[in-house]
Amino acid sequence: MKGARRQAILLLLPCLLALLVLFLLPQVLMFATSLGRRSAYGGVIRDVSLLNYVRALDPIYLRILARSVGLAFFTTLFCLLMAYPVSYWLGVKAPEKWRNALLVLVILPFWTSFLVRMYAWVFMLRTEGLLNLFLGELGIAPLNMLYNDFAVMLGQVYGELPFMILPLYASIEKLDRSLLEAAADLGASPLRSLWRVTIPLTAPGIVAGSVLVFIPSLGAYLAPDLLGGARTVYIGNLIQSQFAVARDMPFGSALSFLLSLTVLVLLYVFRRPLRASQA
Amino acid sequence: MADSRATLRSSPGLALFSALVYLFLYAPILVLVVFSFNAGRLTAEWQGFTFAWYAKLLHNPQILSALRNSLVVATASTVACTILGTAAALAFHKHRFRKQAAMDALITVPIVVPEIVLASSLVLLFAAIGLRLGFFTVILAHIAFSVSYAVVVVRSRLAGFDRSLEEAAADLGAGPWATFWKVTLPGIAPGVLAGALLVFALSIDDYVITSFVAGVGATTLPIQIYSMVRTGISPEINAVSTILLAATSLLLFAAYRLEQGRSARTAVIPIVLSLGLLGAPFFLGGRAASGDKVLNVYIWSNYISPETVKKFEQRYGVHVNVDLYDTNEAMLAKVATGNVAYDILCPSNYPVESLRHQNLLLPLDHTALPHLTNIDPRFLDQAYDPGNRYSVPYFWGTGGIAYDKTKVGTVDSWAALWDARWKGRILMLDDPREAIGATFKWKGLSYNTVDEAKLFEARRLLMEQKKLVKTYNASNFEDVLLSRDVWLAQGWNGQFAKVMADDHELTYVIPKEGASMFVDSLVIPASAPHPELAHAFIDFTLEPEIAAEICRTMQYSTPNRAALPLLPAAIRDNPAIFPPDDVVGRLELIHDIGESTVLYDRLWTEVKTSE
Repeated sequence: MKGARRQAILLLLPCLLALLVLFLLPQVLMFATSLGRRSAYGGVIRDVSLLNYVRALDPIYLRILARSVGLAFFTTLFCLLMAYPVSYWLGVKAPEKWRNALLVLVILPFWTSFLVRMYAWVFMLRTEGLLNLFLGELGIAPLNMLYNDFAVMLGQVYGELPFMILPLYASIEKLDRSLLEAAADLGASPLRSLWRVTIPLTAPGIVAGSVLVFIPSLGAYLAPDLLGGARTVYIGNLIQSQFAVARDMPFGSALSFLLSLTVLVLLYVFRRPLRASQA
Repeated sequence: MADSRATLRSSPGLALFSALVYLFLYAPILVLVVFSFNAGRLTAEWQGFTFAWYAKLLHNPQILSALRNSLVVATASTVACTILGTAAALAFHKHRFRKQAAMDALITVPIVVPEIVLASSLVLLFAAIGLRLGFFTVILAHIAFSVSYAVVVVRSRLAGFDRSLEEAAADLGAGPWATFWKVTLPGIAPGVLAGALLVFALSIDDYVITSFVAGVGATTLPIQIYSMVRTGISPEINAVSTILLAATSLLLFAAYRLEQGRSARTAVIPIVLSLGLLGAPFFLGGRAASGDKVLNVYIWSNYISPETVKKFEQRYGVHVNVDLYDTNEAMLAKVATGNVAYDILCPSNYPVESLRHQNLLLPLDHTALPHLTNIDPRFLDQAYDPGNRYSVPYFWGTGGIAYDKTKVGTVDSWAALWDARWKGRILMLDDPREAIGATFKWKGLSYNTVDEAKLFEARRLLMEQKKLVKTYNASNFEDVLLSRDVWLAQGWNGQFAKVMADDHELTYVIPKEGASMFVDSLVIPASAPHPELAHAFIDFTLEPEIAAEICRTMQYSTPNRAALPLLPAAIRDNPAIFPPDDVVGRLELIHDIGESTVLYDRLWTEVKTSE
């Protein structure tokens, strides 16, 4: 067993080292920055002060955080509702010889720039866009589909959906089918066997997918900007603007540190199901 | 055999739902592929089939070299991340570590941290360890943000992997390597492949992080695309996206055939085609001969054309690297570290102040710039750089209102942006200085007002205006106007001038109360490796013929007096590009307002979060 441990450590070391140097160390540098102050010309004055954190507790910023959590929650929910049937169909019902090809098709859109695909949505949704042209042919008055919350949600779900489908598929695909058969033989209705057998057995996939979707959605800023018309500010936009507009790196660093902290808390709260998914 | 009634029963409802989800995923892809063959440049209407955009690609060395860079970076980071990620996932699978929770956090947090944060923190890191920004730093950054995805994907696949198989193999006498190659790897191969595909896709698509950590000669496709998207979704971008998609699809198709156990021969054609498409950029388009003298230019996208660059290269027998940026801040973040090897930058007026105050600029040798006298004195000796010790004006422009005159009539005041008749038809710049500044100008105040009471009043006016505003936008605002999603748009003249050339119902006005003005200048950073050649380049752009060519191809306003007679009348007499003198008198430069920047940002956030 000792050998196995050493082997495991050797396997882990390179990845750990990469993350320590390329992620943790920069974060420490960022934290140091968050204790400083913005100089008049947008530079950083080194200091040890928690002023930026006090500033972040202002109700206006807390409201923005709450709104981001809401966005991430609904993105995850809609992704789950859309992805589960697809992953189930892929893993259980789809013809076996097409399965890998269909899976690759889920991720193929990612070979096109996200920005370009977002603009393609703008092209479809706008007042004189493709969808409204089509609706016009049917005699339907143009709909207001762009620059509102609907468009933000659509963009978010569109961007995150594959991150839900992949882990769900991975856990559905290796589901032991004889269990489903047994359930059917014992007279369980398909719905009941879904609820009592399939979903509990694929819980690891559900948790992994939800984490993969929820967490990046917290920091979302492209869909709110491009499809939402920047009419609302989410935490991602706020951080972005500290770096890119206000040139207030210390405050931006403090906000992003708080965001990372939120994530750590979430990971802690959900540690049990997460561990189950990785056992 | 395991498949019996329960799982084989077909379910048309499920299949239909899945088909709809696939349609959702592919709708934008279909749009961009179809419109890459559309003869019309900017409309949703079909104007005939053409290959023209593909032909144009072949002659665009910037896109080809960007594609080349992207492929190299994505391949390198995919190989690295797949190996590191798979090894880590296996380690977790084999052994429960004592600090498991901490390690899980370390692996998951990089997925959430906003890109911009990772980007800035990596800039700090590379500066701290003295690693010069370039190609290598891009690869390291891509590993940093994608290795976690590889671990998570492979791990979720391993979670259900039956370890008794490995134990059985070991019991039967297989060594650890044999067990890994013969049992473990085939079992987790789909997970590894999925992880690799994801990492490749993340890398080939990344814009934010790359734009911060890329150094000389490391412009990737997304950076190039972003600079082109600024002027509306261009069919050339659709074309390059289509090619990339086709190449990937072919490659995956070949892999699929091989996996199906078809003879290798059936996979040859798709592989050759795919490698041909992906390899083309490596053969087309010239590359720097090694050992050549080089000049490294870091400039706004759409600010210099390849032809102009080629002329300089030929005259001086040098190679010029042109890298692009789209915000002053991305450029400032890099240059402030002193960790890049650029010879020429092109900041706007207020960043010149910032760079100057941080001692990041080289004083110019005016004796090496004999053509400086061509610059209109109105643009010289400004407060941001007295005596032009550090900067030479390159382009200038204004921030006014463009609108559809057939729908709105005539506009001559900022008041039009508060006119309830245009509810839902107004676009404001998503830029606190421009939006708040325009409000001040409307009320007879300066763009550089810092009085708190007046700032609060401006906030009130902007909150009132919000219910009339359709969208806030500071990147492709002219495209939003062109599509008539809005009828009135605040924005900068250069971008409007480009669409007005095709759409004569649009017009541009500097409101009677006045408007903002910017001057983008060439400067030499203090750390420039080739200051002499940089002086030669600046003087080259000041020559009348060259300045006229730059203005003609890029359609921004040149401050070069001697170039004006050489310009086509359509540009010279275009009031949107060259406003009459009395209008110029009403313009005001936006200055760095120091500490007050924070208050501006705070008020702007309040406006944007208000209902």
